[in-house]
Amino acid sequence: MTGNQYSGKNKNPDNNDAIVVKNLSKQFRIPHERKITVYQHLAGLIAGSYSYEIFDALKDVSFTVKHGETFGVIGPNGSGKSTLLKILAGVLYPDKGTVQMNGKIAPFLELGVGFHPDLTAEENIYLYGAIMGLTKKAIASKYEEILDFAELKRFENMKLKNFSSGMAVRLAFSTAIQTNPDILLVDEVLAVGDESFQRKCSQKIDEIRRGGKTILLVSHDLGMVQRLCERCVLIKDGLVKSSGSAERVVKDYKNILSPGNMMP
Amino acid sequence: MWLMQYRDLIWNLTITDLKIKYQSSVLGFAWSLLNPLLMMLVLYFVFANVFRFNQEHFALYILVGIIAWRFLANGTSTAMLSIVAKPSLVTKIYIPRHILVLSSTLSSFISSILEFCVLIPLLFVFGANITPYILFFPIAHAIFFFIVYGLSLVLAALYVYYRDLNQIWEVVIQLGFFLAPICYPITIVPPKFLPYYVLNPVTILIETYRNFLIYGVPPGLRSMVYLVVSAAMLMIIGKLVFKRFERRFAEVI
Repeated sequence: MTGNQYSGKNKNPDNNDAIVVKNLSKQFRIPHERKITVYQHLAGLIAGSYSYEIFDALKDVSFTVKHGETFGVIGPNGSGKSTLLKILAGVLYPDKGTVQMNGKIAPFLELGVGFHPDLTAEENIYLYGAIMGLTKKAIASKYEEILDFAELKRFENMKLKNFSSGMAVRLAFSTAIQTNPDILLVDEVLAVGDESFQRKCSQKIDEIRRGGKTILLVSHDLGMVQRLCERCVLIKDGLVKSSGSAERVVKDYKNILSPGNMMP
Repeated sequence: MWLMQYRDLIWNLTITDLKIKYQSSVLGFAWSLLNPLLMMLVLYFVFANVFRFNQEHFALYILVGIIAWRFLANGTSTAMLSIVAKPSLVTKIYIPRHILVLSSTLSSFISSILEFCVLIPLLFVFGANITPYILFFPIAHAIFFFIVYGLSLVLAALYVYYRDLNQIWEVVIQLGFFLAPICYPITIVPPKFLPYYVLNPVTILIETYRNFLIYGVPPGLRSMVYLVVSAAMLMIIGKLVFKRFERRFAEVI
Protein backbone atom coordinates (compact mmCIF):
# COMPACT_ATOMS: atom_id res chain seq x y z
CA MET A 1 0.00 0.00 0.00
CA THR A 2 1.14 3.49 -0.57
CA GLY A 3 0.62 6.77 1.10
CA ASN A 4 0.15 9.87 -0.87
CA GLN A 5 3.51 10.65 -2.36
CA TYR A 6 2.22 12.77 -5.13
CA SER A 7 3.52 16.05 -3.93
CA GLY A 8 6.78 17.51 -5.03
CA LYS A 9 8.12 17.39 -1.51
CA ASN A 10 10.36 14.40 -2.05
CA LYS A 11 12.40 16.28 -4.56
CA ASN A 12 15.76 14.65 -4.75
CA PRO A 13 18.44 16.41 -6.80
CA ASP A 14 20.43 13.20 -7.21
CA ASN A 15 17.47 11.45 -8.72
CA ASN A 16 17.46 11.46 -12.52
CA ASP A 17 14.02 10.02 -12.74
CA ALA A 18 11.02 12.28 -12.83
CA ILE A 19 8.47 9.48 -12.60
CA VAL A 20 9.11 6.06 -11.13
CA VAL A 21 6.30 3.54 -11.39
CA LYS A 22 6.89 0.19 -9.75
CA ASN A 23 4.67 -2.88 -9.97
CA LEU A 24 1.55 -0.83 -10.18
CA SER A 25 -1.77 -2.68 -10.06
CA LYS A 26 -5.27 -1.34 -9.95
CA GLN A 27 -8.48 -3.29 -9.67
CA PHE A 28 -11.96 -2.01 -10.09
CA ARG A 29 -14.90 -3.74 -8.53
CA ILE A 30 -17.79 -3.63 -10.89
CA PRO A 31 -20.96 -4.60 -9.04
CA HIS A 32 -23.57 -6.45 -11.04
CA GLU A 33 -26.14 -4.18 -9.57
CA ARG A 34 -24.91 -0.77 -8.59
CA LYS A 35 -26.33 0.38 -5.28
CA ILE A 36 -26.22 4.07 -4.78
CA THR A 37 -28.94 4.74 -2.24
CA VAL A 38 -29.45 3.84 1.39
CA TYR A 39 -32.63 2.08 0.36
CA GLN A 40 -30.81 -0.14 -2.14
CA HIS A 41 -28.17 -1.01 0.43
CA LEU A 42 -30.79 -1.95 2.99
CA ALA A 43 -32.66 -4.01 0.43
CA GLY A 44 -29.36 -5.65 -0.51
CA LEU A 45 -28.68 -6.53 3.12
CA ILE A 46 -32.00 -8.30 3.43
CA ALA A 47 -31.61 -10.10 0.14
CA GLY A 48 -28.00 -10.82 1.12
CA SER A 49 -26.61 -10.36 -2.33
CA TYR A 50 -23.50 -8.47 -3.16
CA SER A 51 -21.94 -9.77 -6.30
CA TYR A 52 -19.37 -8.01 -8.37
CA GLU A 53 -16.80 -8.66 -11.01
CA ILE A 54 -13.20 -7.72 -10.60
CA PHE A 55 -11.69 -5.83 -13.45
CA ASP A 56 -7.94 -5.53 -13.55
CA ALA A 57 -7.31 -2.16 -15.09
CA LEU A 58 -3.57 -2.30 -14.52
CA LYS A 59 -1.43 -5.36 -13.82
CA ASP A 60 2.07 -4.98 -12.52
CA VAL A 61 3.00 -1.94 -14.57
CA SER A 62 6.52 -0.59 -14.16
CA PHE A 63 8.44 2.09 -15.98
CA THR A 64 10.52 5.15 -15.32
CA VAL A 65 10.58 8.52 -16.99
CA LYS A 66 13.75 10.58 -16.84
CA HIS A 67 13.84 14.28 -16.16
CA GLY A 68 13.41 16.30 -19.32
CA GLU A 69 12.08 13.39 -21.28
CA THR A 70 8.91 13.29 -23.33
CA PHE A 71 7.37 9.92 -22.72
CA GLY A 72 4.45 8.40 -24.60
CA VAL A 73 1.80 5.97 -23.40
CA ILE A 74 -0.12 4.25 -26.18
CA GLY A 75 -2.60 1.43 -26.39
CA PRO A 76 -6.09 0.59 -27.58
CA ASN A 77 -9.24 1.91 -25.91
CA GLY A 78 -9.89 0.48 -22.46
CA SER A 79 -6.34 -0.70 -22.04
CA GLY A 80 -5.75 1.20 -18.82
CA LYS A 81 -4.01 4.33 -20.10
CA SER A 82 -6.38 6.76 -18.45
CA THR A 83 -6.37 4.78 -15.22
CA LEU A 84 -2.60 5.02 -15.21
CA LEU A 85 -2.70 8.74 -15.82
CA LYS A 86 -5.23 9.23 -13.03
CA ILE A 87 -3.06 7.31 -10.60
CA LEU A 88 -0.07 9.44 -11.59
CA ALA A 89 -2.17 12.55 -11.06
CA GLY A 90 -3.13 11.32 -7.58
CA VAL A 91 -6.82 11.10 -8.36
CA LEU A 92 -7.04 7.31 -8.03
CA TYR A 93 -5.24 5.27 -5.45
CA PRO A 94 -3.24 2.23 -6.58
CA ASP A 95 -4.05 -1.14 -5.02
CA LYS A 96 -0.48 -2.34 -5.23
CA GLY A 97 2.83 -0.86 -6.18
CA THR A 98 4.27 2.60 -5.83
CA VAL A 99 4.37 5.80 -7.77
CA GLN A 100 7.04 8.39 -7.21
CA MET A 101 6.79 11.79 -8.79
CA ASN A 102 9.85 13.98 -8.38
CA GLY A 103 8.73 17.51 -9.02
CA LYS A 104 5.70 19.70 -9.26
CA ILE A 105 3.10 18.11 -11.49
CA ALA A 106 0.43 19.66 -13.65
CA PRO A 107 -2.26 17.24 -14.74
CA PHE A 108 -3.85 18.13 -18.07
CA LEU A 109 -6.39 15.34 -17.91
CA GLU A 110 -9.04 17.73 -19.00
CA LEU A 111 -8.80 21.41 -19.77
CA GLY A 112 -10.91 23.88 -17.88
CA VAL A 113 -11.50 21.78 -14.77
CA GLY A 114 -13.75 23.79 -12.49
CA PHE A 115 -14.67 26.42 -15.07
CA HIS A 116 -17.94 28.01 -14.10
CA PRO A 117 -20.32 29.21 -16.83
CA ASP A 118 -21.72 32.01 -14.66
CA LEU A 119 -18.35 33.63 -14.05
CA THR A 120 -16.56 36.01 -16.38
CA ALA A 121 -13.38 35.12 -18.24
CA GLU A 122 -11.38 37.05 -15.68
CA GLU A 123 -12.96 35.30 -12.72
CA ASN A 124 -12.50 31.94 -14.39
CA ILE A 125 -8.81 32.58 -14.97
CA TYR A 126 -8.34 33.24 -11.26
CA LEU A 127 -10.45 30.24 -10.26
CA TYR A 128 -8.84 27.80 -12.70
CA GLY A 129 -5.39 29.14 -11.91
CA ALA A 130 -5.99 28.54 -8.21
CA ILE A 131 -7.22 25.02 -8.95
CA MET A 132 -4.06 24.37 -10.96
CA GLY A 133 -2.04 25.41 -7.94
CA LEU A 134 -1.12 29.00 -8.77
CA THR A 135 -1.22 31.66 -6.11
CA LYS A 136 -3.34 34.73 -6.63
CA LYS A 137 -0.22 36.85 -7.01
CA ALA A 138 1.23 34.57 -9.67
CA ILE A 139 -1.98 34.69 -11.66
CA ALA A 140 -2.17 38.47 -11.41
CA SER A 141 1.34 38.82 -12.81
CA LYS A 142 0.59 36.46 -15.71
CA TYR A 143 -2.93 37.69 -16.30
CA GLU A 144 -2.24 39.81 -19.40
CA GLU A 145 -0.08 37.10 -20.90
CA ILE A 146 -2.87 34.56 -20.47
CA LEU A 147 -5.44 36.75 -22.21
CA ASP A 148 -3.01 37.63 -24.98
CA PHE A 149 -2.13 34.02 -25.64
CA ALA A 150 -5.79 33.06 -25.72
CA GLU A 151 -6.54 36.08 -27.95
CA LEU A 152 -9.52 36.87 -25.75
CA LYS A 153 -8.60 40.27 -24.36
CA ARG A 154 -11.80 41.77 -25.75
CA PHE A 155 -13.98 39.26 -23.91
CA GLU A 156 -12.34 39.65 -20.53
CA ASN A 157 -15.59 40.62 -18.81
CA MET A 158 -17.91 38.32 -20.66
CA LYS A 159 -19.46 35.37 -18.89
CA LEU A 160 -18.11 32.00 -19.86
CA LYS A 161 -21.52 30.68 -20.82
CA ASN A 162 -21.51 33.09 -23.76
CA PHE A 163 -18.18 31.75 -25.01
CA SER A 164 -17.96 29.24 -27.81
CA SER A 165 -16.44 25.93 -26.75
CA GLY A 166 -13.32 26.76 -28.74
CA MET A 167 -12.88 30.03 -26.90
CA ALA A 168 -13.37 28.37 -23.53
CA VAL A 169 -10.77 25.75 -24.32
CA ARG A 170 -8.32 28.42 -25.50
CA LEU A 171 -8.78 30.25 -22.23
CA ALA A 172 -8.24 27.02 -20.31
CA PHE A 173 -5.10 26.07 -22.21
CA SER A 174 -3.58 29.52 -21.85
CA THR A 175 -4.18 29.49 -18.08
CA ALA A 176 -3.05 25.93 -17.52
CA ILE A 177 0.18 26.47 -19.42
CA GLN A 178 1.18 29.15 -16.92
CA THR A 179 1.48 26.71 -14.04
CA ASN A 180 5.16 26.16 -14.81
CA PRO A 181 5.32 22.55 -13.63
CA ASP A 182 8.25 20.15 -13.70
CA ILE A 183 6.12 17.30 -14.95
CA LEU A 184 3.20 17.58 -17.34
CA LEU A 185 0.64 14.82 -17.57
CA VAL A 186 -1.21 15.21 -20.83
CA ASP A 187 -4.26 13.26 -21.99
CA GLU A 188 -4.90 14.07 -25.63
CA VAL A 189 -5.84 17.64 -25.01
CA LEU A 190 -3.41 19.14 -27.44
CA ALA A 191 -5.98 19.29 -30.20
CA VAL A 192 -7.79 22.41 -29.06
CA GLY A 193 -9.19 25.39 -30.87
CA ASP A 194 -8.87 26.12 -34.57
CA GLU A 195 -5.87 25.34 -36.70
CA SER A 196 -3.89 28.47 -36.00
CA PHE A 197 -4.39 28.06 -32.26
CA GLN A 198 -3.42 24.40 -32.52
CA ARG A 199 -0.18 25.46 -34.13
CA LYS A 200 0.41 27.89 -31.29
CA CYS A 201 -0.24 25.14 -28.79
CA SER A 202 2.19 22.70 -30.34
CA GLN A 203 4.75 25.48 -30.42
CA LYS A 204 4.18 26.11 -26.74
CA ILE A 205 4.45 22.41 -25.95
CA ASP A 206 7.67 22.23 -27.94
CA GLU A 207 8.95 25.22 -26.02
CA ILE A 208 8.14 23.51 -22.73
CA ARG A 209 9.80 20.34 -23.97
CA ARG A 210 12.94 22.16 -24.94
CA GLY A 211 12.86 23.96 -21.61
CA GLY A 212 13.78 20.66 -20.00
CA LYS A 213 10.38 19.75 -18.61
CA THR A 214 9.17 16.21 -18.33
CA ILE A 215 6.07 15.36 -20.32
CA LEU A 216 4.03 12.21 -20.10
CA LEU A 217 1.71 12.01 -23.06
CA VAL A 218 -1.22 9.65 -23.52
CA SER A 219 -2.39 9.58 -27.09
CA HIS A 220 -3.95 7.70 -29.96
CA ASP A 221 -2.17 9.87 -32.46
CA LEU A 222 0.76 7.61 -33.31
CA GLY A 223 2.28 10.17 -35.62
CA MET A 224 2.39 12.74 -32.85
CA VAL A 225 3.80 10.24 -30.36
CA GLN A 226 6.57 9.33 -32.78
CA ARG A 227 7.30 12.95 -33.49
CA LEU A 228 7.34 14.19 -29.88
CA CYS A 229 8.38 11.28 -27.70
CA GLU A 230 11.77 9.78 -27.17
CA ARG A 231 10.49 6.71 -25.38
CA CYS A 232 7.16 4.99 -25.09
CA VAL A 233 5.22 2.20 -23.42
CA LEU A 234 2.48 0.17 -25.02
CA ILE A 235 -0.26 -0.91 -22.63
CA LYS A 236 -2.87 -3.47 -23.55
CA ASP A 237 -5.35 -5.11 -21.16
CA GLY A 238 -3.53 -3.51 -18.26
CA LEU A 239 -0.17 -5.04 -19.10
CA VAL A 240 2.96 -3.44 -20.48
CA LYS A 241 3.35 -5.16 -23.84
CA SER A 242 6.31 -3.25 -25.08
CA SER A 243 8.54 -0.40 -24.02
CA GLY A 244 11.55 1.35 -25.40
CA SER A 245 12.19 3.81 -28.18
CA ALA A 246 9.07 5.41 -29.55
CA GLU A 247 9.70 4.12 -33.05
CA ARG A 248 9.93 0.49 -31.99
CA VAL A 249 6.93 0.62 -29.66
CA VAL A 250 4.76 2.26 -32.28
CA LYS A 251 5.80 -0.49 -34.72
CA ASP A 252 4.84 -3.14 -32.16
CA TYR A 253 1.51 -1.45 -31.67
CA LYS A 254 0.82 -1.45 -35.39
CA ASN A 255 1.65 -5.16 -35.44
CA ILE A 256 -0.92 -5.81 -32.72
CA LEU A 257 -3.52 -3.72 -34.49
CA SER A 258 -3.24 -5.47 -37.83
CA PRO A 259 -5.15 -8.75 -37.59
CA GLY A 260 -3.44 -12.09 -38.08
CA ASN A 261 -0.14 -10.65 -37.12
CA MET A 262 0.61 -11.81 -33.60
CA MET A 263 3.22 -10.40 -31.32
CA PRO A 264 6.33 -12.56 -30.97
CA MET B 1 0.39 22.57 5.74
CA TRP B 2 -2.52 22.22 3.36
CA LEU B 3 -4.40 25.19 4.74
CA MET B 4 -1.60 27.57 3.82
CA GLN B 5 -0.79 25.90 0.54
CA TYR B 6 -4.37 25.99 -0.67
CA ARG B 7 -5.58 29.18 0.97
CA ASP B 8 -5.99 31.02 -2.33
CA LEU B 9 -8.00 28.15 -3.77
CA ILE B 10 -10.19 27.83 -0.66
CA TRP B 11 -10.93 31.53 -0.71
CA ASN B 12 -11.57 31.55 -4.45
CA LEU B 13 -14.02 28.66 -4.22
CA THR B 14 -15.80 30.31 -1.30
CA ILE B 15 -16.19 33.62 -3.10
CA THR B 16 -17.33 31.88 -6.28
CA ASP B 17 -19.97 30.06 -4.26
CA LEU B 18 -21.25 33.32 -2.78
CA LYS B 19 -21.21 35.11 -6.14
CA ILE B 20 -23.26 32.38 -7.79
CA LYS B 21 -25.68 32.27 -4.88
CA TYR B 22 -26.38 35.99 -4.83
CA GLN B 23 -26.07 37.04 -8.45
CA SER B 24 -29.05 35.10 -9.72
CA SER B 25 -31.33 38.02 -8.93
CA VAL B 26 -30.95 41.72 -8.26
CA LEU B 27 -32.40 41.23 -4.83
CA GLY B 28 -29.97 38.33 -4.35
CA PHE B 29 -28.91 38.81 -0.79
CA ALA B 30 -32.12 40.61 0.16
CA TRP B 31 -34.13 37.51 -0.68
CA SER B 32 -32.04 35.45 1.66
CA LEU B 33 -32.92 37.92 4.44
CA LEU B 34 -36.57 38.00 3.61
CA ASN B 35 -36.89 34.31 4.22
CA PRO B 36 -35.98 34.33 7.94
CA LEU B 37 -37.98 37.53 8.53
CA LEU B 38 -41.13 36.06 7.00
CA MET B 39 -40.60 32.82 8.90
CA MET B 40 -40.30 34.83 12.08
CA LEU B 41 -43.54 36.72 11.39
CA VAL B 42 -45.49 33.53 10.75
CA LEU B 43 -44.06 31.69 13.72
CA TYR B 44 -44.52 34.71 15.95
CA PHE B 45 -48.15 35.00 14.93
CA VAL B 46 -48.83 31.32 15.52
CA PHE B 47 -46.91 30.85 18.74
CA ALA B 48 -47.56 34.19 20.39
CA ASN B 49 -51.22 34.56 19.50
CA VAL B 50 -52.49 31.02 19.08
CA PHE B 51 -50.40 29.18 21.66
CA ARG B 52 -49.99 32.32 23.78
CA PHE B 53 -46.41 31.64 24.88
CA ASN B 54 -45.17 34.18 27.33
CA GLN B 55 -41.54 34.86 26.62
CA GLU B 56 -39.78 38.15 26.93
CA HIS B 57 -38.81 39.58 23.49
CA PHE B 58 -40.51 36.66 21.80
CA ALA B 59 -40.13 38.09 18.27
CA LEU B 60 -36.36 38.44 18.67
CA TYR B 61 -36.27 35.13 20.48
CA ILE B 62 -37.69 33.41 17.40
CA LEU B 63 -35.57 35.40 14.97
CA VAL B 64 -32.27 34.56 16.65
CA GLY B 65 -33.31 30.92 16.74
CA ILE B 66 -34.18 30.90 13.05
CA ILE B 67 -31.02 32.66 11.90
CA ALA B 68 -28.81 30.37 13.95
CA TRP B 69 -30.72 27.33 12.74
CA ARG B 70 -30.42 28.41 9.13
CA PHE B 71 -26.65 28.15 9.27
CA LEU B 72 -26.91 24.55 10.41
CA ALA B 73 -29.69 23.60 8.00
CA ASN B 74 -28.41 25.41 4.89
CA GLY B 75 -24.76 24.84 5.68
CA THR B 76 -25.02 21.09 6.04
CA SER B 77 -27.43 20.52 3.18
CA THR B 78 -25.36 22.46 0.64
CA ALA B 79 -21.99 21.20 1.88
CA MET B 80 -23.33 17.65 1.68
CA LEU B 81 -23.55 18.02 -2.11
CA SER B 82 -20.20 19.81 -2.45
CA ILE B 83 -18.17 16.77 -3.52
CA VAL B 84 -20.72 15.42 -5.97
CA ALA B 85 -21.48 18.87 -7.37
CA LYS B 86 -17.94 19.32 -8.66
CA PRO B 87 -17.02 15.92 -10.09
CA SER B 88 -14.27 17.24 -12.35
CA LEU B 89 -12.37 18.60 -9.34
CA VAL B 90 -12.38 15.06 -7.94
CA THR B 91 -11.71 12.96 -11.03
CA LYS B 92 -9.54 15.19 -13.20
CA ILE B 93 -7.14 16.79 -10.78
CA TYR B 94 -5.88 16.17 -7.29
CA ILE B 95 -6.76 18.69 -4.65
CA PRO B 96 -7.45 17.71 -1.04
CA ARG B 97 -11.13 16.91 -1.32
CA HIS B 98 -12.12 18.33 2.04
CA ILE B 99 -11.33 21.73 0.53
CA LEU B 100 -14.60 21.46 -1.38
CA VAL B 101 -16.53 20.85 1.84
CA LEU B 102 -14.61 23.54 3.67
CA SER B 103 -15.25 26.24 1.08
CA SER B 104 -18.94 25.36 0.88
CA THR B 105 -19.22 25.58 4.67
CA LEU B 106 -17.28 28.84 4.65
CA SER B 107 -19.66 30.39 2.16
CA SER B 108 -22.66 29.44 4.34
CA PHE B 109 -20.74 30.79 7.31
CA ILE B 110 -20.30 34.18 5.63
CA SER B 111 -23.98 34.27 4.64
CA SER B 112 -24.87 33.53 8.24
CA ILE B 113 -22.65 36.33 9.54
CA LEU B 114 -24.36 38.74 7.14
CA GLU B 115 -27.75 37.63 8.42
CA PHE B 116 -26.66 38.23 11.98
CA CYS B 117 -25.40 41.68 10.96
CA VAL B 118 -28.86 42.58 9.74
CA LEU B 119 -30.21 41.40 13.06
CA ILE B 120 -28.27 44.04 14.97
CA PRO B 121 -30.49 47.04 14.08
CA LEU B 122 -33.50 44.89 14.87
CA LEU B 123 -32.08 44.26 18.33
CA PHE B 124 -32.22 48.02 18.94
CA VAL B 125 -35.66 48.41 17.39
CA PHE B 126 -37.19 45.70 19.55
CA GLY B 127 -35.42 46.99 22.63
CA ALA B 128 -33.10 44.14 23.46
CA ASN B 129 -30.81 44.52 26.43
CA ILE B 130 -27.55 45.18 24.62
CA THR B 131 -24.41 44.81 26.71
CA PRO B 132 -20.71 44.24 25.92
CA TYR B 133 -21.43 40.51 26.20
CA ILE B 134 -22.55 40.75 22.59
CA LEU B 135 -18.83 40.46 21.83
CA PHE B 136 -19.12 36.76 22.56
CA PHE B 137 -20.65 36.43 19.12
CA PRO B 138 -17.40 35.70 17.21
CA ILE B 139 -16.45 32.98 19.69
CA ALA B 140 -19.85 31.31 19.61
CA HIS B 141 -20.05 31.54 15.86
CA ALA B 142 -16.56 30.07 15.42
CA ILE B 143 -17.57 27.09 17.55
CA PHE B 144 -20.75 26.78 15.50
CA PHE B 145 -18.64 26.77 12.33
CA PHE B 146 -16.75 23.68 13.46
CA ILE B 147 -19.97 21.94 14.43
CA VAL B 148 -21.35 22.52 10.94
CA TYR B 149 -18.06 21.68 9.23
CA GLY B 150 -17.65 18.43 11.16
CA LEU B 151 -21.18 17.35 10.31
CA SER B 152 -20.73 18.37 6.69
CA LEU B 153 -17.57 16.27 6.32
CA VAL B 154 -19.50 13.18 7.39
CA LEU B 155 -22.49 13.98 5.20
CA ALA B 156 -20.50 14.91 2.10
CA ALA B 157 -18.41 11.74 2.30
CA LEU B 158 -21.46 9.53 2.77
CA TYR B 159 -23.45 11.28 0.08
CA VAL B 160 -20.95 10.17 -2.57
CA TYR B 161 -21.98 6.58 -1.84
CA TYR B 162 -25.59 7.07 -0.73
CA ARG B 163 -27.33 9.43 -3.08
CA ASP B 164 -30.61 9.54 -1.21
CA LEU B 165 -28.96 10.80 1.95
CA ASN B 166 -30.14 14.33 1.19
CA GLN B 167 -33.78 13.19 1.43
CA ILE B 168 -33.09 11.56 4.78
CA TRP B 169 -31.17 14.57 6.04
CA GLU B 170 -34.03 16.86 5.05
CA VAL B 171 -36.31 14.95 7.39
CA VAL B 172 -33.71 15.05 10.15
CA ILE B 173 -33.40 18.81 9.74
CA GLN B 174 -37.19 19.21 9.91
CA LEU B 175 -37.31 17.15 13.08
CA GLY B 176 -34.37 19.07 14.51
CA PHE B 177 -36.20 22.33 13.96
CA PHE B 178 -38.86 21.26 16.42
CA LEU B 179 -36.51 19.43 18.75
CA ALA B 180 -34.53 22.61 19.39
CA PRO B 181 -36.05 25.61 21.14
CA ILE B 182 -36.49 27.74 18.04
CA CYS B 183 -40.16 28.64 17.91
CA TYR B 184 -41.13 27.88 21.49
CA PRO B 185 -39.63 28.75 24.88
CA ILE B 186 -37.51 26.09 26.51
CA THR B 187 -39.73 26.37 29.61
CA ILE B 188 -42.53 24.39 27.98
CA VAL B 189 -40.38 21.27 27.78
CA PRO B 190 -41.62 18.81 30.44
CA PRO B 191 -39.06 18.59 33.27
CA LYS B 192 -38.61 14.84 32.91
CA PHE B 193 -37.38 15.28 29.34
CA LEU B 194 -35.26 18.32 30.08
CA PRO B 195 -32.00 16.48 30.93
CA TYR B 196 -32.11 14.75 27.52
CA TYR B 197 -33.33 17.85 25.75
CA VAL B 198 -30.32 19.92 26.74
CA LEU B 199 -27.93 17.22 25.51
CA ASN B 200 -28.51 18.59 22.03
CA PRO B 201 -25.59 20.97 21.38
CA VAL B 202 -27.78 23.02 19.07
CA THR B 203 -30.16 23.73 21.96
CA ILE B 204 -27.28 24.96 24.09
CA LEU B 205 -25.93 26.98 21.19
CA ILE B 206 -29.18 28.76 20.39
CA GLU B 207 -29.79 29.54 24.04
CA THR B 208 -26.26 30.93 24.27
CA TYR B 209 -26.83 33.22 21.30
CA ARG B 210 -30.03 34.52 22.86
CA ASN B 211 -28.38 35.12 26.20
CA PHE B 212 -25.76 37.51 24.94
CA LEU B 213 -27.68 38.98 21.99
CA ILE B 214 -31.09 39.64 23.53
CA TYR B 215 -30.92 39.34 27.30
CA GLY B 216 -27.44 40.78 27.87
CA VAL B 217 -26.27 37.80 29.89
CA PRO B 218 -22.84 36.19 29.46
CA PRO B 219 -22.83 32.58 28.28
CA GLY B 220 -22.37 30.02 31.03
CA LEU B 221 -18.96 28.41 31.35
CA ARG B 222 -20.44 24.92 31.33
CA SER B 223 -22.35 25.64 28.12
CA MET B 224 -19.24 26.93 26.41
CA VAL B 225 -17.17 23.94 27.47
CA TYR B 226 -19.92 21.60 26.32
CA LEU B 227 -20.05 23.35 22.94
CA VAL B 228 -16.29 23.27 22.44
CA VAL B 229 -16.19 19.57 23.31
CA SER B 230 -19.10 18.82 20.95
CA ALA B 231 -17.46 20.76 18.12
CA ALA B 232 -14.12 19.01 18.67
CA MET B 233 -15.80 15.60 18.69
CA LEU B 234 -17.73 16.32 15.53
CA MET B 235 -14.56 17.52 13.83
CA ILE B 236 -12.69 14.35 14.81
CA ILE B 237 -15.53 12.12 13.63
CA GLY B 238 -15.82 14.17 10.44
CA LYS B 239 -12.12 13.92 9.65
CA LEU B 240 -12.03 10.17 10.34
CA VAL B 241 -15.12 9.36 8.29
CA PHE B 242 -13.98 11.57 5.44
CA LYS B 243 -10.54 10.01 5.36
CA ARG B 244 -12.01 6.53 5.40
CA PHE B 245 -14.30 7.21 2.43
CA GLU B 246 -12.13 9.59 0.42
CA ARG B 247 -9.97 6.93 -1.23
CA ARG B 248 -12.61 5.75 -3.64
CA PHE B 249 -14.35 9.04 -4.37
CA ALA B 250 -12.97 9.22 -7.91
CA GLU B 251 -14.15 5.69 -8.69
CA VAL B 252 -17.68 6.12 -7.42
CA ILE B 253 -18.57 9.67 -8.29
